[in-house]
Amino acid sequence: MKTIISLKNVEKYFNSLHALKNITFDVNEGEFVSIIGPSGCGKTTLLKIIGGLTNFSKGSVTIESGSVESALQGRKFGFVFQKPVLLPWRNVLENIQLPLEILDRRNASEIPSKLLKIVGLEKFENFYPNELSGGMQQRVSIARALSFGPSILLMDEPFGSLDEITRDRLNLELLRIWREESSTISSITFVTHSVPESVFMSDKVIVLSARPGAVQQIVDIDLPRPRTSEIKYSKKYLELVQCIRKILK
Amino acid sequence: MYKKNIKIKLKRTLTPVFVSLGVLVIWEFIVSITNYPEYLLPRPIVIFSALIANFNSLLYHTGITLFEAMVGFVIANILAFFIAVIFTHSKTIEAGFHPFVIALQTTPIIAMAPLLVLWFGSDIGSKIAAAALVSFFPTIVNGVKGLETIDEEALDLFKSFSATRRQIFAKLRLPNSLPFFFQALKTSAALSVIGAIVGEFVGANRGIGYIILTSTYHMETVKMFTAIIMSAVAGMLFFGIVSIIEKKIVFWQKF
Repeated sequence: MKTIISLKNVEKYFNSLHALKNITFDVNEGEFVSIIGPSGCGKTTLLKIIGGLTNFSKGSVTIESGSVESALQGRKFGFVFQKPVLLPWRNVLENIQLPLEILDRRNASEIPSKLLKIVGLEKFENFYPNELSGGMQQRVSIARALSFGPSILLMDEPFGSLDEITRDRLNLELLRIWREESSTISSITFVTHSVPESVFMSDKVIVLSARPGAVQQIVDIDLPRPRTSEIKYSKKYLELVQCIRKILK
Repeated sequence: MYKKNIKIKLKRTLTPVFVSLGVLVIWEFIVSITNYPEYLLPRPIVIFSALIANFNSLLYHTGITLFEAMVGFVIANILAFFIAVIFTHSKTIEAGFHPFVIALQTTPIIAMAPLLVLWFGSDIGSKIAAAALVSFFPTIVNGVKGLETIDEEALDLFKSFSATRRQIFAKLRLPNSLPFFFQALKTSAALSVIGAIVGEFVGANRGIGYIILTSTYHMETVKMFTAIIMSAVAGMLFFGIVSIIEKKIVFWQKF
């Protein structure tokens, strides 16, 4: 299996504050990996380090056997943040087009409308962000992250501010979108603070401890794919949820 | 629901109208029963009929003032916009010029006006300069704020696309700053009218400030009142125009 993201002994200090300690793990091709931990443990910082938005103090990070910098330059990362961060002066379609404009791929005009269909917003292309619900806004931000064909999707608590019903639905949709034929995404790294969500979505859950954030344990989730809501009633699922809860205690 | 909205809107517009009418009626009534001298406080009806009788001449002078204000406003704001952009690009330049900006801003325009007449002559040039000088600062201050007040996550988003500084400016900073700019433009629209009138006070032979000043010399209080009313109308008109443009351009902002 090809390694997509590889972290070795990564350390991060904010001045004198030790934020991340000796982080080592891999994300392989085709894997969905969740990072979970108590609030303030440096989950977001870790994701930003992987995506090249924050530098690290020690250790090494390789992306597809190259540097983070070259992966960023090569536009390999699609980011989805906790807030949808849509530009309020652009309608849905224009928001999805934003990365294409920046990459000067304006002729790829069929992509945004295709993505709108995939995220189920084809009737809303002319709507402005303030006319959409929180869930719909987050769908737009996912479509935007996919629009330029990145291979690595980095998600920072993307559904954290949504209600449970919307979150469950978007979880299933994200897995479906990932498996779409046209999908360019080879791996997803997903930060969350919800234990059930991490188990339901992932192949691997990385459990971080509180300050300084260190890998406490890496839990393999060997539930079958494709995942359906029924899995949540299986014994195995419940055991895994309990197991991670115990580690977090 | 819809009907209720109309009712609320009607109430909002009619209430101030009724209040102002009430004030005018009381004013009229008190002045007429106390026989208060007209050169101190004329009755609203007298002012109103003078306003209608001299409307063409008043309109001409108001137009001059509004023209001076608008030209000054446009020059000042184009300049202020570019300076704000330069300030956000270089902290050193901003730090160097900031005390200068503050000093100019805190100097009363009335203290500067005679100098402006000396420099730009007693025709409209000095009035345009006065209008420009006062409408300059709100835009600089708010413009810099608007260009710099960027959501961290939005910046991260642009960085994740490897966007250039120029792209971040054009697609994020600039549109993001528009609500701030328009907030300033509304303030400076009203200020520019004040600036033009102050300029006219120092030396002019036309404009609404000139009318106010000459009517004082001749104790023509009624005429003075009509000129004051017109100056208020000019200020509100300009403010209103900018507000309408604001709603069109900054459409995503809730008003």
